[in-house]
Amino acid sequence: MRDFLQILLVGIGDGAVYAMLGLGLVVIYRSTGLLNFAQGEMAMFSTFIVWTMWSLGLPMWLAILGGMAGGFCVGALVHQVAVRPVGDPHEKPLAVVIVTIGLFLGLNGAAQLIWGTLDRSMPPLFGRGQVTVFGVAVAWQKIGAVIVLGVMVLLFYLLFQHTKLGLAMRAVASNSESASLVGIPVPRLLMLGWGLAAAVGTVAGVFIAPNLGLGTNLMQLTLIFGFAAITLGGFDSLVGAVVGGFVVGALSSVMPRYITIFEKMPLAPAFILILAVLLFRPEGLFGKKQVTRV
Amino acid sequence: MSSAGDGVSSAGDGVSSAGDGVSSAGDGVSSAGHLLEVKTLGAGYGIVEVLFGVDLVVDPGEVVVVLGANGAGKTTTLRAISGMIAATGQVKFLGESVLGRRPDQLAKRGIAHVPQGRGTVTALTVEENLRIGAYVRSDDQIESDIQQWFEAFPRLGERKDQLAGSMSGGEQQMLAIARALMSRPKLLLLDEPSLGLAPLVTHEVFDRLREISASTGTAVLLVEQNANLALEFAARAYVLEAGRIVLSGNSADLQGDAAIQKAYLGV
Amino acid sequence: MSATATTGASAHRSPGDWALKVAPWVVLFVILAIVPFQFPSFRVEQFCFWMTLAIAACGLNLLTGYNGQISVGHGALFGIGAYTTGILITEFGVPLFGATVASAVLCFATGILIGLPALRIKGLYLALVTLAVATLFPLLLEQFSAITGGSGGLQITSPQLYRGEMRERPIRLESPVAGLENDQWKYFVFLGITVVIFILSRNLIKSRVGRSLVAVRDNEVAAESSGIPVSQVKIVTFGLSAAIAGIGGSLFALDQGQLYPSSFTIVLSIYILVAVVVGGAASIIGPAIGAVFYGLFSDVIVQQMPDRIQPARAVILGVLLILLMLLAPGGIVGGFRTLQAKWSARRSSALNSGPDPIV
Repeated sequence: MRDFLQILLVGIGDGAVYAMLGLGLVVIYRSTGLLNFAQGEMAMFSTFIVWTMWSLGLPMWLAILGGMAGGFCVGALVHQVAVRPVGDPHEKPLAVVIVTIGLFLGLNGAAQLIWGTLDRSMPPLFGRGQVTVFGVAVAWQKIGAVIVLGVMVLLFYLLFQHTKLGLAMRAVASNSESASLVGIPVPRLLMLGWGLAAAVGTVAGVFIAPNLGLGTNLMQLTLIFGFAAITLGGFDSLVGAVVGGFVVGALSSVMPRYITIFEKMPLAPAFILILAVLLFRPEGLFGKKQVTRV
Repeated sequence: MSSAGDGVSSAGDGVSSAGDGVSSAGDGVSSAGHLLEVKTLGAGYGIVEVLFGVDLVVDPGEVVVVLGANGAGKTTTLRAISGMIAATGQVKFLGESVLGRRPDQLAKRGIAHVPQGRGTVTALTVEENLRIGAYVRSDDQIESDIQQWFEAFPRLGERKDQLAGSMSGGEQQMLAIARALMSRPKLLLLDEPSLGLAPLVTHEVFDRLREISASTGTAVLLVEQNANLALEFAARAYVLEAGRIVLSGNSADLQGDAAIQKAYLGV
Repeated sequence: MSATATTGASAHRSPGDWALKVAPWVVLFVILAIVPFQFPSFRVEQFCFWMTLAIAACGLNLLTGYNGQISVGHGALFGIGAYTTGILITEFGVPLFGATVASAVLCFATGILIGLPALRIKGLYLALVTLAVATLFPLLLEQFSAITGGSGGLQITSPQLYRGEMRERPIRLESPVAGLENDQWKYFVFLGITVVIFILSRNLIKSRVGRSLVAVRDNEVAAESSGIPVSQVKIVTFGLSAAIAGIGGSLFALDQGQLYPSSFTIVLSIYILVAVVVGGAASIIGPAIGAVFYGLFSDVIVQQMPDRIQPARAVILGVLLILLMLLAPGGIVGGFRTLQAKWSARRSSALNSGPDPIV
């Protein structure tokens, strides 16, 4: 039982990170109706920016802020030069998906060019210490991830529900034509959405890098977990991303432990989850039922 | 080419004498200062041309209707004016050429467009729809304006926390108009507000519009298929046929002219 | 099967036009026939790899170009084809090309399975499933290392007569023709299979089934209302597309003789997609052109670059994908068609020299 609890807590800590990446995916989905396959690579790129600043001697928190700012710029730029000119994702999903795949390749290659192909090491943000709760050891890093996720969700909630900007972003997501008719500069807000998503991804990357080692394939697995999280939660739901993140984290931590066939594939439960949700409840747990629109 | 045969009168003579309840709300209309001036407007979708040189003017505070059958280019005219589609020709708003501007830039200048069908943002609540309508404003009267709308339309007030998408067609149309007016526009573009509404509801919507326009002095450019209703409401009218203005004049004159009614309005 | 339609149309053409249409193909086949004799062995080996890629791209094109479903997971299907072939030959002693057929069948079934969500979901969501498949596949290979060899690789062997006794030896495609080296023989075998697959795909697309593929892509609702079983069409297309990718993978296995999980990551899936998009989605020959382009790029051009900037290859391909989507969504073939249309329009207007018929 204690063993189970231990694994579960590890999973929840991981889940917080998946949820962070999921938040970024939801923000982009909500504003553009697009599944951003380059989200993970954007996060990887900006995590390298964090690493660079940190290795130049900046304190970690400042490096993270810098990385988020850098990530924001990358996201905004990517939207302006690559995504926006292709056109409306609702009309040309194929073209836009291919563009995000192009971004995936491009960002990955660019990171290899700039930072090389060797993994870098990054210290855990909350140290390597542990705390024992009910006889179960939990790393501060995992607790920190849950807390940071909480803060991010709160900030997003405030942004979307209590600011004019957030209201405008929601209007753009729901009906971009009406939004532009009331005077909202739609392209600029979409750019902002991409920037925000990338900035959030930075934080996810900072939490993952100490475990996996910071390399250019840092986020490729994590992205699938993030997608599993938002598939379960609903592509357009921030709350769904969080709940989904925790469930996916817990499942992929617990199941490989008890089911030998998943031993080397913590990804498999996530994959089965994606398939099952898409087949039986495509809108997810918290999403609005609009997934099947043509 | 634009021999928009001035059937009844030329487009220059401003506001009609009240006649059917439309007052000009005390605006002194100058002959030079049109609010909106559209010349040889051409537009289309892809390679399909829809408009072939539309000319029309709207003066401050004036209520004008563009009539025409399905496919005549009414909606396209409004979409071209508010910058939603690319267009050629000339569009002047407050003396400034605005052709090629994006819709949000025009909204900032004072044009509010209620598009055809549901112009509401369905995923936002009623109150949020009104608030987003005031996006271009930064004064401190937004809250009191919202309250005024709730008083004027208790049904909106009762449902202020409900999603706009969950309301009936008439309520959504009313909300769309209210949302447009929240920006305190100088010109309101209305695209077939009667579409899909029961006749009774349509009448109510038009009654409200008339009151609002009169009290705020907002000019209205309306496109409608329902000619009789629109002519009662508007002071002046244009008739659009196959992408061209073929007729214009005071509503009262157009209403009285049986030949015109038969030929263009399909009554 | 589409012969009746084409002869009917070409009856109106003049012999000159006919020659113009056939000549490029004759030239192409002559070039393809000469190529293995003009290049060193390692190049011919590379050409063989390009052909396996072209086959996979042809399969993906059926799905993405003609049916409008996107897959970011064809690398995994390619891999399933490769490993099925390898395992069948090594473990069960199946003859080489028998294994290819079995791989195609298995990939067809897998494709149907992956395509199942298409019953409920559309567009982007299917892409998501395939992305997950592509990411999962190399991990699966490691998980089941008992039969796949895991990251140590799978050596494909078959019992062969060696110094008078039967032994497990690495597979080889021996040339039965005197005067043809082994690699040249392999080249022609692969070329034959590739050509057959492309011709079969062409016939499929020109058939009634092919038209229903396109109808589903262009407008599902309209297709549905005109009696096309949309879900079935989508799923079967996925299966077919997967089977073709599997054949590509199977040939890859025969070509390489050894398989490693690292060859079948998400990146392979993306490169297959690159071949389709660059060559021209929704054109039969496009994926082949795209595969040759990709081969030239990664096996010839990139090799000239210094090691330090090798990753630039991904950047260039990524940027190329984006630029193509922005500037020439039809890829190389689409661009060529546009030029051709412009040219023939100019020629016909010069001939008529009258006023423009339209406007």
